[in-house]
Amino acid sequence: MSKILIIVFLLCIFFLSTSTVNANNPFTAKPEKQHIEPTSLVKPLIKNKFFVKIIFWQQQLREKMSSLIREAKTKKTLAPLFILIASGFTYGVIHATGPGHGKAVALSYILSCKPSFFQGLVFGNLVALTHGFSGVFFVLIVKFLLHTSISTSLDTMTNITQIISYSLITCLGLFIFFTSIIKWIKNKAAHHESRTRIFTHPFITAMAVGLIPCPGVVMVMLFAISMDLTWLGILLGSTISFGMASTITLIMMAGISGKTALFSLASRHTRILTNLEYLIEVTAGLMVACFGLIFLINSL
Amino acid sequence: MKHIVRKLIFTIACLLIFSNRTTWAHPHVFIEQNLEIVFDEKGMAGFNVHWIFDDMFSIMICEDHDVNKNGILEKTEVASIKEKAFSYIAEFDYFIYVKINDNPFKVKYVTDFSAKINHDKLIYDFFIPCHISAAKEFKHIKIATYDPSYYSAIYYSNQHPFTIVNKAKFEAGIEIKKDKSTLIYYDQINPWTLFLDFRLKQ
Repeated sequence: MSKILIIVFLLCIFFLSTSTVNANNPFTAKPEKQHIEPTSLVKPLIKNKFFVKIIFWQQQLREKMSSLIREAKTKKTLAPLFILIASGFTYGVIHATGPGHGKAVALSYILSCKPSFFQGLVFGNLVALTHGFSGVFFVLIVKFLLHTSISTSLDTMTNITQIISYSLITCLGLFIFFTSIIKWIKNKAAHHESRTRIFTHPFITAMAVGLIPCPGVVMVMLFAISMDLTWLGILLGSTISFGMASTITLIMMAGISGKTALFSLASRHTRILTNLEYLIEVTAGLMVACFGLIFLINSL
Repeated sequence: MKHIVRKLIFTIACLLIFSNRTTWAHPHVFIEQNLEIVFDEKGMAGFNVHWIFDDMFSIMICEDHDVNKNGILEKTEVASIKEKAFSYIAEFDYFIYVKINDNPFKVKYVTDFSAKINHDKLIYDFFIPCHISAAKEFKHIKIATYDPSYYSAIYYSNQHPFTIVNKAKFEAGIEIKKDKSTLIYYDQINPWTLFLDFRLKQ
């Protein structure tokens, strides 16, 4: 794989790290660990009314799940189990349609690499399932092994992950930037294996970026555990994870189909395009390094 | 050529995602809100904010701060919540954005903070001092409440979105509606806002 793949994955990690910036709970995370911009100079390209609907549905489903868990607890019955599983799965599907949850990572993988249909699906599902199941394991470890504060641990884990990600991004971004410039000057062949490949295996990356626990799963788990229904929490956490994976699967299928159609338009190589290729690589490397450094400084 | 197309698409995709990155946050905390507008002899003295958190966030906070697990928040536990699960939002004006005749009023501090558990839900109450003297002409106040990070979604209560205390000396009208002049969450939506108009009784 060429360096562009490395850039892709650095930016993938960066996307997720950036989304975890917003995953800090403003009530429990110290302000210096947050990066909230009350007013924006950057405006979205499309105003998304669907976004508001998603929020409303999530609230309704969360209320439904909590009332059903209570019912299971008080009536000591498994009758609501089927509805709970259906609610959990639907919550996962809708939760993943909202921002984050690895969609950008998965789509970047499709756009920049040439995965087969199967590889694409495995990659997307790995991101979503790791993200969901890490929430389940996070609660079990913190609650039953470490016996420490959940909210503090979640914020600490998020911050540590950020620092590691941003440091890695900055170093590798600089590496790509300088080696690309040297290669451009020497005008060597574009396809050149890199020593950094070891860091960027797609499936390892998928699991690495998914390791940040999903706060939605964490809260459902905690609620079930507080009702002494740990097994139900694990079941619901798993169901939500599979719901999120379903959404990612659909997006991956659409992405792979779209990319296949687009590449069919590609034509022959020219010298100008070769230079353009170098320019993009150098710019992307510099962009990765700068963003990584900025966010690393903010995380410290 | 395929490499070029791939890289171009990827770069454009990155730029689009980067430019829109802060819209990725989405609510994990849901808050039902009620505001109590308080008048004194001169005019508006401020307002009480009543927040009821959703079941799951309530459990998360109570697990950490209701140390003796008795379902009642004692004084030390409330202090712990205030320090570790409330005061951090001071950085963000306590999620409360006030405009007086279209001029911003910054919420710098709150008073009378309390936290309790009622029907397994965590409740915060606090007062925001905001002194506005009444005059012969109407004064127009807007109170919008939202979390700029969108980690929390704040809704006005359907049944009792607001109350007014001591308004006998004043003419006051209140309405809750979307503020079309304000766009939040990176221009995605208009915030639900309390519009208060008041003046001295003629």
